[in-house]
Amino acid sequence: MKNRFPKGADRGLAGCHTCGKVSPVILGRCPRCGVRLHVRTPNSIQTTLALMAAAITLYIPSHLLPVMTVSELGEITHNTIISGMLTFWRSGAYPIAIVIFTASILIPLLKIAALSWLCAAATGRVHPSPTTLGKIYWITELLGRWSMVDIFVVGILVSIVQVGNYMSITPGPGALAFAGVVMLTMFAAMSFDPRMLWDRLDEISSDYPPIPTSKPES
Amino acid sequence: MNRTLTRTVKSAMSWPRPRTSNGQSVCHFCDTLHEERHVREGLAARCARCGALLYENRAGSLARASAFSLAALLLMVLVHAFPFLTMDAASMRRELTLTGAAGALMKDGYQVLGVAIILFTLVAPIMLAGGMLYVCLPLLSGRAAPGAITVAKWMYRSEPWNMVEVFLLGVMVSLMKLAKVADVHFDMGFWAFFGVMLCTAAAVSGIHRHELWDRLEVART
Repeated sequence: MKNRFPKGADRGLAGCHTCGKVSPVILGRCPRCGVRLHVRTPNSIQTTLALMAAAITLYIPSHLLPVMTVSELGEITHNTIISGMLTFWRSGAYPIAIVIFTASILIPLLKIAALSWLCAAATGRVHPSPTTLGKIYWITELLGRWSMVDIFVVGILVSIVQVGNYMSITPGPGALAFAGVVMLTMFAAMSFDPRMLWDRLDEISSDYPPIPTSKPES
Repeated sequence: MNRTLTRTVKSAMSWPRPRTSNGQSVCHFCDTLHEERHVREGLAARCARCGALLYENRAGSLARASAFSLAALLLMVLVHAFPFLTMDAASMRRELTLTGAAGALMKDGYQVLGVAIILFTLVAPIMLAGGMLYVCLPLLSGRAAPGAITVAKWMYRSEPWNMVEVFLLGVMVSLMKLAKVADVHFDMGFWAFFGVMLCTAAAVSGIHRHELWDRLEVART
């Protein structure tokens, strides 16, 4: 059956991920920039799921372990991301508390939820609605980086707050775990191939042949 | 002389089509195959199926990308000459710099985090702006710089890791955190970094990556 929208994959053509040039996949590498050509990102779902599993595992210690330790006149307090946010909230700095809540708690969770949904849709377990899911994917890629803000705050505070013996701040293992969460979810979002959503949609709406995910034998 | 002239005239013209081009374009988002058509300056082509941007012909693209990336690099010098924050507390003055923040984490045994800060706020923006300038400036006169393909490739790879704006938000949050214990205020470095953020964004969005690669291909042949 002929589709109204021809796909590059049907004709063995792939758009280079880096430079956008359309070339036959048989070439193996893009003739213009030398990057490997793929019809679809290989092992996209497996990679995304694996990276996400690692991110979920790190998410728990990242909120339980202290991100920084403040020693003020010999008094030591361990701060987690959540306790730092609550301090802002109690002192009435609501906008900052909301920024931290969104960047550190909400965005990683939403990202993991969104990517799970996308993987489920790409494997045909949930109905793929590419327009909606595409927007979700786009937002996920856009927002992910903002979670790094807490790591930067730790670095800034550790560097600037060294007031003799009165007050000093040292980083904690939670910061390391949290940086891991942010980077792993970023890699997970990058390894997801949104074109698979459209493939599933075409399979449902017509007797469209499935797109081979590996390089076809020539 | 004649050859140089033709090159310059060619590069001043808008978006050339490489001779090897098969006149096709695929949507990176839904893989729909399109016939590539020339769009006038200031116009963009969108995917017929999903509406994602296919390519865009931006006005004065090369000049814009070169100018803004040069500005970003110059501002980057200011970022390193001045602190981001200055704090006065207990008759002591502390200053925050980019390398200071990374160095403090490394000193306390968190080398990975220190390196991450350096990569995201220093290496990535310099790769982005420096790479853009290195590729686009020679292209203005129709020439391809040696190794421009590799530079362009790494420039676009570094793009998602450029976290200048996130660091700026981090500085603001830190200022709020410290405001109640000490007298803290923004310094030149902060504003220079703010400029870096705007200029890199303007440089990257100044030229569509398909146009940059097409021009690079034309200049090399």
